[in-house]
Amino acid sequence: MTNFRASPHSSRPSFPVAANIPAAGELAPDFAEIDEAGRRVTLQDFRGSPIILAFSSVHWNPAAPERIDDYNRLISRLRGAAGARLLRVEHDGAWRALAFDDAQVTVPVIADGSAELARRYGVGEGPAVFVIDANGVIRWRHVAGEPLVLPENLTLSEENEHETPRVPGAWTRREFVATTLAASFAIAFLPFTRRTDMQAQTLAGAPPAPADTVPVTLRLNGRDVTLQLEPRVTLLDALREYAGMPGTKKGCDHGQCGACTVHVDGRRVLSCLTFAVMQQGKAITTIEGLAGSVGATGDGLHPMQEAFLTHDGFQCGYCTPGQIMSASAMVKEPWGGDDADVREAMSGNICRCGAYTNIVAAIQDVRRGTVSSTSGHSTGAEQ
Amino acid sequence: MIPFDYRLAASIDDATRAASAADTHYVAGGTNLIDLMKLDVETPSHLVDINALDRETASLAQVTELPGGGLRLGALARMSDVAWNARVRELFPVVSQSLLLAASGQLRNMASMGGNILQRTRCPYFRDTATPCNKREPGSGCSALHGFNRTHAVLGTSEHCIATHPSDFAVALVALDAIVHVRSASGGERTIPIGEFHLLPGAHPEHETSLRHGELITAIDIPALSFGNRSLYLKVRDRASYAFALASAAVALDLNDGRIRAARVALGGVGTKPWRSREAERALVGKTAAPAAFQAAADAALREAVVHRYNTFKVKLAKRTLVRALTQVMA
Repeated sequence: MTNFRASPHSSRPSFPVAANIPAAGELAPDFAEIDEAGRRVTLQDFRGSPIILAFSSVHWNPAAPERIDDYNRLISRLRGAAGARLLRVEHDGAWRALAFDDAQVTVPVIADGSAELARRYGVGEGPAVFVIDANGVIRWRHVAGEPLVLPENLTLSEENEHETPRVPGAWTRREFVATTLAASFAIAFLPFTRRTDMQAQTLAGAPPAPADTVPVTLRLNGRDVTLQLEPRVTLLDALREYAGMPGTKKGCDHGQCGACTVHVDGRRVLSCLTFAVMQQGKAITTIEGLAGSVGATGDGLHPMQEAFLTHDGFQCGYCTPGQIMSASAMVKEPWGGDDADVREAMSGNICRCGAYTNIVAAIQDVRRGTVSSTSGHSTGAEQ
Repeated sequence: MIPFDYRLAASIDDATRAASAADTHYVAGGTNLIDLMKLDVETPSHLVDINALDRETASLAQVTELPGGGLRLGALARMSDVAWNARVRELFPVVSQSLLLAASGQLRNMASMGGNILQRTRCPYFRDTATPCNKREPGSGCSALHGFNRTHAVLGTSEHCIATHPSDFAVALVALDAIVHVRSASGGERTIPIGEFHLLPGAHPEHETSLRHGELITAIDIPALSFGNRSLYLKVRDRASYAFALASAAVALDLNDGRIRAARVALGGVGTKPWRSREAERALVGKTAAPAAFQAAADAALREAVVHRYNTFKVKLAKRTLVRALTQVMA
């Protein structure tokens, strides 16, 4: 089973028994999740347009990217044929990390960190696809481990279309006719057909117990937020996937890039290398809260943010929240005044675009006091 | 990452009791442990968080003076706190430098003294559960012996393991004869000289330290050293910052009219443990502090080196690193 790491451990806390998988013809279980942009998404929101609910696999083998490609192709073709809106369900972002580059299929992502959605749909660790028609009825499904029976001449007709609210921007095609899908798509699912055997092997036949969560209260940007988390949830994942604060970025997730930098009690730290449960009682500041109450309307910028804008200290912007959080803490550390000191102090923040020269210039401006916040004073949330 | 139970320890006794259970790890900064847990290299069932122990015992997170001139580094003091500490910089610049040349600003704010000397090797095979590794899975074999071994050790290796010890700070500590204080669940305390703290891999590379299960590091003492202020840490790596050492040297010299009265020499990046070189020290003592003596010391330090396919360069690099460190500490 080379497609799996030889590990019994799942990033989805639990996976249910196959009997709970809703079948074609049944009403799709509703859900209420938070999407990447922090919006609440429910199945009801999609009434009136067919959707494809695609669950990513917990384990993709980086050495066998063709399996992901096959899976993506299947979804892409289903969607192309159906005109349906695609909702991808991720557990931890592995998909994005593995060069999913089909622009057609980069649509809303639901981060299912708690596996609640996976539980409702009876989905385990493997990939799964549900085609749901405009009335919320499942018309076709495939869950890893099942034989792949390709859909033929499925028509998703929408009734009462004028009575059902439509989500702005949702797909409007109502006819779903998928007549041909290459049998080679099956390869995407074959490696997972022995999943049950593997579980038995690695877990000695015992189904894994549901993961235990604990209430975790974090002081985020001056507000107490209580989340129900497993102890193994990093501060980074707690911020992004549970607290609805995606400003902090996940780069390497191993403490090597600095994209996830936040402040804890005023000091810069890496949120990917600490568990959220360990940070209770500490003052946590993220890029969302850095500016604090600067500016009369509350939307002012921190001087470091101003300086990055002034000096164009970024290109693609992905490392920028981490750079700014690192820089705004670094200026309070006892470094020397030279550019070389800035480069050394900031070496934990990698910028693939190579905006370093402008980043150094921005930081030096702040250190020399030549930049001020938009409201004219240089106070941040922590000061 | 596998699920685990989490417990925030309220006191040292509470922590050591909890950690006496099987399959239990302490966590302080977490920068090494959590990284390895994500890789399934570390798979503890229970984590005991010791970060609040300084509420009970404030000195655990502080640098304090020892009677007679040394310094006590609390096990929970963070790398950045110790690196910027005025007394550390004054008495033992080699310690401050070894910390500031390691990791990144963010990691230094997290990583603790105790955790630093316990950090695991960066050998890529140790970190990859798909490959054999005697340190991770005893008896499975060593992938580095005939694999990509450019970053691996040339001193203290065995046929079972050639993994390099990654810590810079520990290299400074072995040069300074530091003492590690530990507490056990029974409440007993003992001290371990830093030179005996880390073990050579031998036939059991999975045994890395002389700590017993459940023992908690409480402090690291740096004894007084009259010439500790003439000390230096030099680190050579693939990039200018934020990388592990290919070779490094911690040196301290006691000079009297241009002659070397006493010397401390330790090497990093080249040993399976933080490498004290008494051979180099013997080659220096009594000599005039000049390039000839430094080169002789470097030759002595690397005399026993065992190289593998991709790390032969480390012998020359380590020698040059040591010579340069000795030259610079004179300045």
